Amino acid sequence: MSLRIIAKLDVKPPYVVKPVHFEGLRKIGLPAELAEKYYKQGADELIYTDIVASLYQREILFAEVEKAAKEVFIPFSVGGGVRSIDDFSKLFHSGADKVVINTYAVQNDPHIIKQASEIFGSQSVIVNIEAKKWGSSWECYTDCGRVRSGKSVLDWVNEVADLGAGEIMLQSVDCDGRQRGYDIDLVSSVVESVSIPVIAASGAGNLEDVLSVVQQARPDAVALASILHYEKTTIREVKDFLRKNGVEVS
Amino acid sequence: MGPVIGVVNYGVAGNIFSIVKALEKIDARVKVVNSSGDFEKVDKIIIPGVGSFKDAMSEIHEDGIYDALVSNVLSKPTLGICLGMQILSKIGYEFGETKGLGIFDAEVKNIYCSAPIPHMGFNKINVQKDSLLLRGVEDESFYFMHSYEVVNYTDILSLTEYEGHQFVSAISKGNIYGVQFHPEKSREAGLEVFKNFLNV
Repeated sequence: MSLRIIAKLDVKPPYVVKPVHFEGLRKIGLPAELAEKYYKQGADELIYTDIVASLYQREILFAEVEKAAKEVFIPFSVGGGVRSIDDFSKLFHSGADKVVINTYAVQNDPHIIKQASEIFGSQSVIVNIEAKKWGSSWECYTDCGRVRSGKSVLDWVNEVADLGAGEIMLQSVDCDGRQRGYDIDLVSSVVESVSIPVIAASGAGNLEDVLSVVQQARPDAVALASILHYEKTTIREVKDFLRKNGVEVS
Repeated sequence: MGPVIGVVNYGVAGNIFSIVKALEKIDARVKVVNSSGDFEKVDKIIIPGVGSFKDAMSEIHEDGIYDALVSNVLSKPTLGICLGMQILSKIGYEFGETKGLGIFDAEVKNIYCSAPIPHMGFNKINVQKDSLLLRGVEDESFYFMHSYEVVNYTDILSLTEYEGHQFVSAISKGNIYGVQFHPEKSREAGLEVFKNFLNV
């Protein structure tokens, strides 16, 4: 089975931005342009997150999602501010293939994961985890790494898998946007404790970082943002490099 | 003028947006089928696929399109995608036992294997039988996103292997086709499958 390479677009409409450490935003470009650019580079999937919807307690902007999804023929996942089954439904009708949820499930009602997976199928429900390291364990954060939840990451990932989540997107509050490598312990701990696919995000600064997390933690997918946005590399280069090092990519 | 492709819209359980978008990309004529009456305006049928077997079937019954759907599938070229392929089977076992459209002598069951489920990502197809639908794309990879598989032994077009486990990835009976993968999410190769379907 091929490792999936996912391009991640963090959007503060109308721009894709890159949060550093989940704080301080830099404008990168328009979602539709970047989506098409990464699609043409050979991305296996795209993840679009409206990073301020949850924080501002407003609905995700569906028209923006629809625009971004227009010219891409690969899976398109969307998240940010999702808090009801109706939000899931609207996103699928705006072009999302999978919906990403975090804050509402953690803070208000984990059961929404079960409801959504029963209605839309597990494969279309991604739970986003924002993990922050405390000593030898990790705690779940919400609202782009701003709010503590008190939940242990390893307990929570098992809970969401039991509730029917189809996939886990694992971000690290400590590593995100810093381009200094993944939290490999975090990724391998999560990969070992659940049997659903895990997407490793946060921290890739170069090709070796990607190879290290893939070889040492064995996630099912890696999500890339900064190194693509700042054109340090392309998805094609990442795939060539991985292939040369014996990793199967499509 | 080419045939009109009817994409069946059955409520929350169907994601039609991506399929319509892919069909428009290849300049196909598309009509979203929202009611029994809409079937007479279309020449071919696509049944999309996001959701669970049980919810999909109850939507089809609630929308009152069951009879029209079955009779049109039996008389017009049809392509079921993912869940849309699965509900063409006799019975599904997702959240209890549910009767499907009964076109294929098949059952839909959990994928049993040790690798992560859902099976998600690009994977190859191993063509078992020549078909118009898969012509020219035999060596391509397609996007899969599913936790259930169609168990059938008689109508297999292609098989796919996932970490040692083999399952049916395409099926056909006359002009009725089903694919477990998502052509609308499988880059150029997926668009080719739609082009082939236009010519079926």
